[in-house]
Amino acid sequence: MLGYYVRMAWKSLRRTPGLTALMVSGIALGISACIVTLTVYHAMSSNPIWWKNNVLYAVTLDPWGASHRSSTYRGPDLLTYRDATYLLSSRIPRRKTLLTSIEGALAGAPDQHRPLPVNTEATTADFFRMFAVPFLYGGPWSAAADAGPDPVIVLSRHENEKLFGGIDSVGRTLLWNKRRFRVVGVLDHWNPQPRFYDLTANGGGAFARPANTFIPFQWGPTLQIWPSGTMECQRTGPGSSYAQLENADCGWIAMWVELPDAAARRHFLAAMNAYAAEQRSAGRFQGPLNNHLWRVGAWLRLHHVVSERSRLLVALSFALLAVCLTNTVGILLAKFLRTAPLAGVRRALGASRRQIFAQHLIEAATLSVLGAALGLLLGVGGLKGVRVLYLHSNNAYGKLAHFDALGIAWALALAVLATLLAGVYPAWRAGRVAPAAHLKSQ
Amino acid sequence: MRTHLHPLLSALQRNPTGAVLVTLQVAITLAVLVNAAAMVGRAITRIAQPSGLDTSNTFVMVIGGITKQFNVARAVSADLAYLRSLPDVTAATVTTGVPLTSDGFQEPLGRRSDGHGTTVAADLLPVDEQGLRALDVPLVAGRNFRTDEVAPQSSGHPFHDISSIIVTQSVARALFPHGHALGGTVYINGGQPLTIIGVTRDFMGPHLSGSAYNTVLLPTIVTQFGFYDLLVRTRPGTLESVLHRAKRHIGATHANGMIVYTPTLTGALRRLHAGQRNLVVFLAVITSIMLTFCCFGIFGLNTFNVGSRTKQIGIRRAVGARKGDIVAHFMLENAIVLTAGLLLGALLSLAIGQWLTRHDGMPRLGPAYLLAGMLVLGLVAQLAAWQPARRAARVPPSVATRTV
Repeated sequence: MLGYYVRMAWKSLRRTPGLTALMVSGIALGISACIVTLTVYHAMSSNPIWWKNNVLYAVTLDPWGASHRSSTYRGPDLLTYRDATYLLSSRIPRRKTLLTSIEGALAGAPDQHRPLPVNTEATTADFFRMFAVPFLYGGPWSAAADAGPDPVIVLSRHENEKLFGGIDSVGRTLLWNKRRFRVVGVLDHWNPQPRFYDLTANGGGAFARPANTFIPFQWGPTLQIWPSGTMECQRTGPGSSYAQLENADCGWIAMWVELPDAAARRHFLAAMNAYAAEQRSAGRFQGPLNNHLWRVGAWLRLHHVVSERSRLLVALSFALLAVCLTNTVGILLAKFLRTAPLAGVRRALGASRRQIFAQHLIEAATLSVLGAALGLLLGVGGLKGVRVLYLHSNNAYGKLAHFDALGIAWALALAVLATLLAGVYPAWRAGRVAPAAHLKSQ
Repeated sequence: MRTHLHPLLSALQRNPTGAVLVTLQVAITLAVLVNAAAMVGRAITRIAQPSGLDTSNTFVMVIGGITKQFNVARAVSADLAYLRSLPDVTAATVTTGVPLTSDGFQEPLGRRSDGHGTTVAADLLPVDEQGLRALDVPLVAGRNFRTDEVAPQSSGHPFHDISSIIVTQSVARALFPHGHALGGTVYINGGQPLTIIGVTRDFMGPHLSGSAYNTVLLPTIVTQFGFYDLLVRTRPGTLESVLHRAKRHIGATHANGMIVYTPTLTGALRRLHAGQRNLVVFLAVITSIMLTFCCFGIFGLNTFNVGSRTKQIGIRRAVGARKGDIVAHFMLENAIVLTAGLLLGALLSLAIGQWLTRHDGMPRLGPAYLLAGMLVLGLVAQLAAWQPARRAARVPPSVATRTV
């Protein structure tokens, strides 16, 4: 029966090619706009480490109090050196890490003449396991290397390809800022979007690529290299020497902890608050307690990673789809009323109302499937267009506009939606045709 | 030519589905059209905002030290001497930050030493005496920094060993609403007192959130961070060649330093506006598709109505209606449906406008946009009904005599 209905639908659509083209192109344009905006929106709002959402926490400590700020102020994102190193000594978290970015220069690879500027993440060994960073060769450095600090370096896959042509470079030495470092690991492809662990990268913000080199955190203080990322200072500046920076009221270190359960979370927060209270009585902290542990999802929401703009564009695409579907409803209605005599004859020959309804609904479904298929093609093209448009921009839109399996799922879902919205009412009207009226006048 | 409303309304009542569909289409289209127009208007205003800089002839070289032995003060004077010796370089200065890229210092600037009272979030550009020429910003009052005022940083804070400052007109107006900014005293984040010795025409610094023109110049060379930014303005048409030469020379000069990157202000401006420009493209595409399909819908409804009422039109013609009456009938019927759609759409527009004001920081939707949108959509929609109405008028009265 289904095959027969599809054949009838096909015939009916071929009878009025102009109207069919109009309906299909409308549905296709609406669906393609939805695919483009939904793809980007989904990528933006995704939590790239969702499976660890209940154990990973960003740590924020507010030394200055909310007194002179708005009541919604949640404190600075970054910790001062003193606070970060104190909290890192806590034994409560299962894993814990500090991170800060440094501009580095890499040299000493075969056939390399000039030092290459690199973004370096100064962090601790736990970083890699906490954030489930995949390794192609080797692995993270040891906890002992953190304390040394040992001259060890981890390269991104891309950096390893650039410097060593992609071979297993573990054990080789490189000059990082003119100092010998031993390669202990090479990452596999790793580009969490958004870059949840550090949303404030220069040029790229929440959707920047991860750093291309990683070294133990203590190298910053040891070599006295100033951090190159965001620094938020209160009153006095960072000072002129690194020793002054270490004691300054300037936040420049991000801290993450892995707390296995609610009890650990409570313990750690209590330890943070106890430390803050102690610092307040020593005169260093001011204002009420304003210390927090943020889950990844909450952290992304706090920083408005999903812009209202992208939500708006999704709404706009659905408005377009709505207008196009309304159009289709009107055209189908007119068409089904015009072919009512045919339905009348079929009813008279014994077709039930339900069968007439099914037949007409399948015609609408055929339209929607054609529209969705065309919309999928347009959507792929549209995403390419978006990438070209945003080629020279730091905006996330271009970076995230990649067609994936989800696009096909969206197209299918929207086709079903289109069938239901555009087809049900006209098909129902067609099913209610009284056969007698149409038989008489023939 | 007379047209009675009664037959029109009863025709609509007998078969309301098509009219309801068109009403919905018109309402959604109007709401999108009006709000999209308002957003495009705002985006264009932003793109059109002048930077106040000589963007097409200016580039920046960001130089960073590789080791602690890198002597910023010495490297800066060597680089500036080289750049200023090039015939095509109009002016060169050293700063910390790149205009238009969010890369640079931003601190509260106010008139009280304790940091309270009115402050502006000021972009701080440390420069030497060629700063004004390199940025291409003219003074409107006061004087430039003297050579002996500019010194490499000596104390722990980048801005604590200076005593003079040059501000833009925007900063002057914000901090000294009653005038007399020149000679006034201001404080960066409650630091040292600084005397305003010059006021420049407005220009954009690195940070553009809030007021884009809150920029100030400070006579110092910041050395403590181990990197610096050379801001170079070239003679028109020579930027590429100067950049190429400078990259080769300076890249080979410093044993302990390297060129990190070399952004041009044209590129920075393009990246800055990319989001706004692309939003305009996106909105224009979606809105025009929507408008087209809305017109198809109106055209389709009227064509269907004309087709299914051919006999009735013939009868009306036979009993004396003129062609004009028939056209007027269909145009008026369309206008009624359209008016319902436009009114519903106006409500929807205002609701969406309010949501945008609350969530996207859009200014309140102006009535001008709403009225213009209703007028445009109304005209276009009436045009879409014109052809079917004309076809209706061509139905001959003889149709009435035929039996279908």
